[in-house]
Amino acid sequence: MRPEDIVFATVMLPLLGASLAFCAKILPKGRIAGVVEYAGALVGLGLPPLVLILLFPVVFSGQSVSGVVGQWFVGVGITFRFDALAWLVNMLGYTIGAAAWVYSLGAGPKGPAFTGVFLIQTAALSATIMTTDLFNLFVCLEIMGITSYVLIPTSRKPGATLASFSYLMVSASAMVFFLLGTYGFYRLTGALSYEGISSGLQAISSSDTMLSIVSLALLVSAIAIRVAVMPLYGWLPDAHALAPHAVSAVLSGVLIKTPLFALSRILYLFPFGMEVGELMGIAGGLTAIVGVVIALSQEDAKRLLAYHSISQIGYVVAAWGMAISLGVDTPAGTSLMVAAFLHAFYHALFKGLLFLSVGTTVDMAKERNVYVLRDGIGKLRDAGEKIPVTFIGFVVGALAISAIPPLNGFVSKTAITYAMKGSLSYYLLSMAAVGTVASFIKLSRIYWPTRKRGSLHLETGVSLGTGSNPQSKAHGLVARLTAQSALAVLCIAGGLAAPHILTIVGTLLSRGGTNSAVPPTLYSTDNLLKTGATTLGGILLFFIATSKIGSRVLHTIRNRPRSFQGLFVSFSLGTAFLVAFLVVGKFL
Amino acid sequence: MGKRKAWGTILQASLAIGAMGAVLLPIFLCQTPWPTVARDYLVEHGQHESGAINLVSAIYLGYRAFDTLGETIVLLVAVIGTMGLLSRVESMVNAVGDDDNTIQTVSAFSLRGEKRSSHVLRTHLLEVVTGKIGPIVLLFGFYVMLYGHLSPGGGFQGGVIIASGIVFLALGNQQDNTSALSKSSILGGIESVSFLLFIIVAISGIFFGKGFFGNPLADSAYPVGFIVLLNSIIGLKVGASIGFMCIAMMGGHD
Repeated sequence: MRPEDIVFATVMLPLLGASLAFCAKILPKGRIAGVVEYAGALVGLGLPPLVLILLFPVVFSGQSVSGVVGQWFVGVGITFRFDALAWLVNMLGYTIGAAAWVYSLGAGPKGPAFTGVFLIQTAALSATIMTTDLFNLFVCLEIMGITSYVLIPTSRKPGATLASFSYLMVSASAMVFFLLGTYGFYRLTGALSYEGISSGLQAISSSDTMLSIVSLALLVSAIAIRVAVMPLYGWLPDAHALAPHAVSAVLSGVLIKTPLFALSRILYLFPFGMEVGELMGIAGGLTAIVGVVIALSQEDAKRLLAYHSISQIGYVVAAWGMAISLGVDTPAGTSLMVAAFLHAFYHALFKGLLFLSVGTTVDMAKERNVYVLRDGIGKLRDAGEKIPVTFIGFVVGALAISAIPPLNGFVSKTAITYAMKGSLSYYLLSMAAVGTVASFIKLSRIYWPTRKRGSLHLETGVSLGTGSNPQSKAHGLVARLTAQSALAVLCIAGGLAAPHILTIVGTLLSRGGTNSAVPPTLYSTDNLLKTGATTLGGILLFFIATSKIGSRVLHTIRNRPRSFQGLFVSFSLGTAFLVAFLVVGKFL
Repeated sequence: MGKRKAWGTILQASLAIGAMGAVLLPIFLCQTPWPTVARDYLVEHGQHESGAINLVSAIYLGYRAFDTLGETIVLLVAVIGTMGLLSRVESMVNAVGDDDNTIQTVSAFSLRGEKRSSHVLRTHLLEVVTGKIGPIVLLFGFYVMLYGHLSPGGGFQGGVIIASGIVFLALGNQQDNTSALSKSSILGGIESVSFLLFIIVAISGIFFGKGFFGNPLADSAYPVGFIVLLNSIIGLKVGASIGFMCIAMMGGHD
């Protein structure tokens, strides 16, 4: 087999697994159906990482596998490119996907239909990052979208269907404009592959420049909706907060980042890509700080986490945008791209861990309100956890997201701030870090032991799980705890092995197989002092937030008006602003 | 207050439409001559390479079959989502309404009033006509599906016609001895197995040295066989899923 055939295994194996899972759906319920479903999951989530390991030497030496699907003529076929970026994003997707699926065995949603759709989503992630064809990118984004619309309401929580519906509406409308952007580029150049378009765009007349700007803006803003950058984030909190915990982990860990890295392929090649990167970078910095302020005001535990996903993706977008605006072949650009990917990867690990551990706790306590829920450890003990693994998982995740050394969050946040020192985003991100610490102190209160007075929900913890038999309950517990401990171990390992990982990712993302990224100094006195100051600031902010005035301000932020049509208005205004920014940059 | 809110909404809507309209203007004003590369290539090589007279099918099952796989998956997942939604609405209706007044709950998503056992809202005319027409529609669906490479049509269109044939058969069965095609377990089986077949066919090119989604019959005398095969698989899959969904909406799934 040639390498061209092997790279598509990362897409086809999950699809094969999904079709096995669907076949399990029609078999009579029983042992055979279960075996077929698990075999499907093994094929779909277990084998692709082996394929990735097989492909590592290829991408590590700076080569890439590219070609046309079905070996057709390049002008009519679908081109693809499997390079280091694709390898890294695949690795991210399969790590989180496997952990989340194992967790879903314990906490639901279960069943072959869920497994099948979940595997299809994984396949779509892999296809999205590999494609270099605009229309194929559209199809991949649609598959990613539709699987999330289906997976979000499987939690059967009130409001989940509505959240999924509003996500569907706004994202489907945005995809119409994505298609119009694709049409615009095809009209100008007669090509759909990125390279065909970018070489075609060099020959267009100056009167058509406007159309190429508009088309690029339509593509970028449709993808920005998926990434949930600042004005376009409105769909995310409900969808992520009400989805099943395993799905939340994948949605905020992988799903919002894959389109971003797929977009970077377009922006590298197309004219005006650098300007778009510049604007997106600033939007990312703003996203980080606004997201964290809103997160601090939330009272629903999972919604608080969802706003933190917005804030953290802001970090990633800020570094990513600046990397593109500097040019990705420069050492500074490469270092920023390395930092952006590393933070995307580490955020997926610790946010996945947080979603799973907090999700487990609120399920056991049957209470999601941060201000009411207390004594989480006791509730978990009542549910059969002798060692408080879930609590330890939460602590690891919370320390990682607050960038406390030596956990992985410290490494990636330091890498980002190190690479962008002195810019506007640097200050925005430093302020956001303070808010992160404060809001995680607030969230950690759900584990604080109760005073006797406030024990409202004591008996619910004991009566839990009476419906299911003890054996399946024990199985569920094992599956849940395995997934959480695996993520926690990866969080710690990612922090301890940071120098090696930075070298590997740096080499992968530099062209030509040598590491051209500047390695950040991690444990300098400066950085440690900054971490200390941030933590102290966070504690201070927490006390301000819990004071009378503070809680009134937060109450106002929490109850700010949010509307369905606002999603569409912000999309159209955001797109118009992007076009205006590019036009002004071009003609002035 | 209500009036001010309405004005606010109108303002928002006009802002959004105005902004989007201004953005889209250059797309409609473009005067550049149309691109010709793909067109000329297809006219020259399309029929020879794929064997299909209908070049549309050469594109969507040959050159860009990977996209078609994606669209098929979208349909598959959409049907799963609809079934999930239906079962939830059904359980909500069951929880709220009494069992006697099924007619009242007709307004709900799954038409419970039209349960097969009770035959409420059915007439003899409907049953006789649909029962007679069903097999013919089914046959026509297979025709459209199998001749997709020669004339307009193909798997998706043929599949939808097959689905209407299935719905006719389900409507037209006068006793409760339902034809096998209106049983949801059979339809679900066809759907799952044809999806598995699609994946296997997509991979098969690799073993013939044609690469992923390559045509394994490309060097044989009948390269068009690949398109016919894919058309049949897609037709069966689309027909089964849409028929499955319609029958579920008529309240006939278990």
